[in-house]
Amino acid sequence: MTARYDPELDEILQDQELRRLGDLLGAAVRPDPPVDEAFRSGLRRQLMQQAWEMGEGRPSWFRRAFAPPGLAWIGATAGLLLIASVIVFMLTQPAGISTLVVSSSMDGSHGVALQQPILVSFNQPMDHPSTEAAVQIAPATNVTFAWSASSNTLSVLPTSGNLAPNTQYQVTIGSTAKTATGQPLATAQTITFVTQPPAPLPPSPSPTPRAPASPSSLLTGEHQVAPLGGLASSAIQWSADSATVYFVDSKGTLNAAPAKGGDVKMVAPDGVSSPSIAGAGDRLAYIRGGKIEVLTFATGTTVDIATTPAPTLVGWAKDKLLWATADAVYTEGATKPSQLAALPTGSGVTIVSFAPDGAHAAYRQAQKLYLLDLATAKSTPIGQSGALLYGWSPGGTQLMYAGTDSLVISDLQGNTVGTLAGAEASWSAQEAILLGSDTDLYQVRPDGTFSTKLANGTYHMPVWAPNGAAFAFFRGGALWTATAPALPPQPNPLDEASAVVNSFLQARQNNKPDQATAFMDDSGKLAYTTGGLSLVINGDPRFSRFYVLTQVMTGTQPDTATFVVRLVLTHGKLDVSDFEETLTLVRDATTKHFLIDQATAGTHRDLGKGAEVVGVVVAADSIKVTFDSDLDPATVTDGVQVLDSKGKQVDITATYSNRTVTITGLDLKPGSQYKLVVLTTVRDVGGHNVASEYELQLLAPALKNKGNQKTAGGVTASPIPTSPPPAANAS
Amino acid sequence: MSDPSRDDERELVERAKRDPRQFGALYDRHFQQIYRFVYSRVREQTAAEDVTSEIFMKALKAMPRYQDTGRPFAAWLYQISVNAIADRYRTLRPAQPLDDFHDLSVAGPALEDLASHRDEIRRIWALVEALPIQQRTALVLKFQEDMKIEDIAVAMGKSSGAVKLLIHRGVSRLREEADALRPVE
Repeated sequence: MTARYDPELDEILQDQELRRLGDLLGAAVRPDPPVDEAFRSGLRRQLMQQAWEMGEGRPSWFRRAFAPPGLAWIGATAGLLLIASVIVFMLTQPAGISTLVVSSSMDGSHGVALQQPILVSFNQPMDHPSTEAAVQIAPATNVTFAWSASSNTLSVLPTSGNLAPNTQYQVTIGSTAKTATGQPLATAQTITFVTQPPAPLPPSPSPTPRAPASPSSLLTGEHQVAPLGGLASSAIQWSADSATVYFVDSKGTLNAAPAKGGDVKMVAPDGVSSPSIAGAGDRLAYIRGGKIEVLTFATGTTVDIATTPAPTLVGWAKDKLLWATADAVYTEGATKPSQLAALPTGSGVTIVSFAPDGAHAAYRQAQKLYLLDLATAKSTPIGQSGALLYGWSPGGTQLMYAGTDSLVISDLQGNTVGTLAGAEASWSAQEAILLGSDTDLYQVRPDGTFSTKLANGTYHMPVWAPNGAAFAFFRGGALWTATAPALPPQPNPLDEASAVVNSFLQARQNNKPDQATAFMDDSGKLAYTTGGLSLVINGDPRFSRFYVLTQVMTGTQPDTATFVVRLVLTHGKLDVSDFEETLTLVRDATTKHFLIDQATAGTHRDLGKGAEVVGVVVAADSIKVTFDSDLDPATVTDGVQVLDSKGKQVDITATYSNRTVTITGLDLKPGSQYKLVVLTTVRDVGGHNVASEYELQLLAPALKNKGNQKTAGGVTASPIPTSPPPAANAS
Repeated sequence: MSDPSRDDERELVERAKRDPRQFGALYDRHFQQIYRFVYSRVREQTAAEDVTSEIFMKALKAMPRYQDTGRPFAAWLYQISVNAIADRYRTLRPAQPLDDFHDLSVAGPALEDLASHRDEIRRIWALVEALPIQQRTALVLKFQEDMKIEDIAVAMGKSSGAVKLLIHRGVSRLREEADALRPVE
């Protein structure tokens, strides 16, 4: 807890006492305030909406050029004279020779909303039949038309109700279009724009606790359970249904009390220590009179287990009873106790806790904390001298201990994987950590995110109940319980990986290879240095935009995600070709961030030659394939296939509606490889066949992902990541 | 030698100036920092959200007029924040006690020493809240936000010399107040 050294203060605070005050001020730690993620993303949406309005409402180039007030007045005067001249000129000319101008506010835009008509404006009233007949749209799209009352604005409406996502549209008004007075368009005019990604999945309602107007506490049901003397937290146990709390009072009596209040009942009289409830919640073991007693709740019977030497700690690995003595760790054998591991030699070795999976135990020796592998009897030092164990992660793969001035999360090799503010802590099965102290109570994720102050006041030695909501704590020599609000759901791993992919591709699009490299591990870097892939894409056509075609969580230990991204190359204003990269991201064991671990690239495909696949959503029993063009339904059934890893065609049922082919009747094996094939027989409504056979390697989604409900259903054609519109197109 | 992160920020700023739709990247980069600063001043989530919204909305609208003076973009956001919070303070007092934000929960060995140190820090910060607003703002930006003097000068619309004076006077006043609170032995 030392202050940061700030050389700037040497000059300002030269007096020793002033400098000491400065150091005190600088030593304060700012806890993260509660942030409602819904607010953060909502504000971002508001800002972006405002930004779009600003972008679309930007003054014209000449106004900006004459921006200073004096010049603006001159410009305005000149403009008025010009307008007057044009009016006079037009009034004196025969009708029909003024130039026909075609324009659209969408021209050159990126991220155009999908559910909107294509608006084309004319500077004169138009003849409807000839103009409508002159409209050509690429990709091939069935449309209807609507006109403004003045016949100056044409709305082109896709019959499917929306535009295709991630698609560059070219809407051409051919030279056969005529004005209402019969004047033809001198030359064909083309409007170009790019649509936004598919609509995002509806966000799940955020259970983020919002502080009330006077947030004195976010806890509910806080009440005293029983007055008692000093205790250790290990003396507190919860029933499996989180309804009853068991505790040992200062006389050594084991008691049970309803968590919501009620009479305290004695379970065992004096001399009890180390109570521990089995994983199934059906038995309670404790040490009394130099032996272990195991109480079975259903029958109310108690069985004694005599051990030699005497037990010092008892615990459960799920439903297997474990105990420690002065020389070893034991479990029950068929006829007699079975030794799991001998304790290290030397004096003062005390087992303090068993891991939930029963694979490890923590012990102290000479003020130091160690981890004992019960299979190999190997010891690993944990932290510095004086470290105090506070608990294990639910799976027993990490532990937390109090270091010098912080709470340390450590792996089983003793490596620090994170630190939290120093406090008395409890780690719930729902991956929330309670941080209690004599002045306040916080709740936080093990990675330090979602830190929420729950209450001011004394909350010593909190102990979570199995439901991850109720908890017990000590205050003023008494046992208390309360209920904490749930933390927001953990970040979706696929969203985390998606953010990395987005940053990686944006860095490449901005020609920043150093930034892009930061998102890769060594294996990923190798793919771009020796694997034939180009990190930087220079030349003409240029790398103008990207979007995700598919994304899926394909593994959980470590978290692994596979993305297929499409990189679009543009010449002038037109998208001319694209290619796909398949990126495999793996969560780094130390930083917990996703990094690109593998990458492969497909071949370049020319655009504008038949329908293109622009989105694929895979679930275990279905695949949805979205095209950029309206298709001839008759060509779809046999034109879209799914092959298994051996190249064998999978039996499917394919239906078509609104540019999307839905493949059903699937039973994809989690993690297995499949191939989506679109044959050249698939034809768009303009009569163009797919230019060349399209193949997309797919991995069936993993069935379960920790903290990731969203991906359990499969791959999504994500609304993000996608590249931002180039600055040049926005002005 | 140029600072890559500053170069990166400069480019983000230039892009946002040219195209407001690029402002999102700056928002993502600075939201947490600004929200935390605002929350530390208003101590109430709804008020903090209101003020943070106002700050970023003002920043977005003013983006085309933003001039890069060589200082971090955050200094400009702090400038907007300081003004927005001052406006807020005119009508709203902090909802929570002001001495609970600068928290130092501790555990483990030497608990009593750490607790004593923590209490002293809390007392000092409670005194900061009673300082005149300019001194308080300067101290908060320096010691809580860990900003450089020149950046504080941008945020407060003052010269560096004036900021140094405010900090010196603020800390000197804290010493006087702390002495006054100390029990006579």
